[in-house]
Amino acid sequence: MDVKTISRRAVWLACVVAASVQLHAGAQGARSANRPDLSGSYDRYRGAPGARGGAVGARGGAPRQDPYAPPPAPQAPLKPQYLKEWQARQQASREADLKGEPFAAGVVQCLPEGMPAMMNGPFPMEILESKGQVTIIQEAYNQVRRIILDQPQKPIDDVEPGWFGHSVGHWEGDTLVVDTVGIKESVRYQNMTHSKDMRIKERIHSVAPDIVWDEITIEDPATLEKPWTYTLAYKRTPGYTLLEYVCEDNREYADEHGVQKIRIGSPGK
Amino acid sequence: MGFGRRLWYTGGLLGLLVLTTAGPALAHHSFAVFDHTRTVTVKGTVTKFTWTNPHAFLELDVPDDKGGVKPFTIELTSINMLSRTGWRSNMIKAGDRVRAVVSPLLSGQPGGLLLDVTLPDGRKLESPVPGVTTFKRTPETE
Repeated sequence: MDVKTISRRAVWLACVVAASVQLHAGAQGARSANRPDLSGSYDRYRGAPGARGGAVGARGGAPRQDPYAPPPAPQAPLKPQYLKEWQARQQASREADLKGEPFAAGVVQCLPEGMPAMMNGPFPMEILESKGQVTIIQEAYNQVRRIILDQPQKPIDDVEPGWFGHSVGHWEGDTLVVDTVGIKESVRYQNMTHSKDMRIKERIHSVAPDIVWDEITIEDPATLEKPWTYTLAYKRTPGYTLLEYVCEDNREYADEHGVQKIRIGSPGK
Repeated sequence: MGFGRRLWYTGGLLGLLVLTTAGPALAHHSFAVFDHTRTVTVKGTVTKFTWTNPHAFLELDVPDDKGGVKPFTIELTSINMLSRTGWRSNMIKAGDRVRAVVSPLLSGQPGGLLLDVTLPDGRKLESPVPGVTTFKRTPETE
């Protein structure tokens, strides 16, 4: 073997190695070697007492800032007709509450919250990282969403509408970038209308050793003037194991007017 | 260690967290069906303590003025919230004579939302109601 052949083979080998490294990196997403593992249990985090959502004056003291508290969520930029409908619904809901006859929301029938509402809590949440998948569990209603890693997103029309949708994700450095489509129009966030074409984009990352942020952007050109971004924060709860949640004895129901009622008296007595 | 202190150590801090972070809008249902302006104190015998989701329930037989008893249904929060604040399913049993402070149902039905309950041995259990400070406590009237 002459020098030329050796150097040609060396170049060829280098190309194969480089290509294989690139393929490997592509399959895994561009993840940093020291990326923190997000697995664990969490509670919603709204900031240290006296300082939430950025610079807020502590009682009687100098303004304090908690850099890990999420910024306040802006109002959803609903298109005028949807904004008007939403405001009317909220007003009617407030009036019903004042009368002691609240509207029965879906949860009254023990239905889960679905996406994106399940990311708001209200109970502890668990993140599980496994090969090819990140799983997020919300203790209330045993809600589970599965984020499939490094797979292309399906066209919206190929996803059967559901409560948690079809989620794909990949790592960009320390950030888990997630794309979710296929949320039923009846699964509403904060009582707002959305279309079947709604897309939820998330950037999930640690901002401190025990604090994770989820920057959520809702895209829905049919109902929103522009994409709507808000951030939720979570704090690790080391040692906490999520509890089960089964709606076994639901005595709340919606009457014929959609008003929440309670059955009195033990059914099994 | 007394119950009160144990409850504080095992769940008090978590309970505080739950109370301060979970607003009424995040609960299983609206609490608007309960009277926020007054409490009633109910004394009776437990017929059943139902440790279930979405909510736990305490059923009492309450003596009436004719020598009989009338049933009264008391709603608690989810058992997840109760567990996290130190409650256990075996803390209350059928036959226990208890004193419960409740926010009554606005509908007039014999029932209400539990704020606290005192057990036969004098232990007082607080209920981890979201937005509990919005429920006004009024003196016991007898």
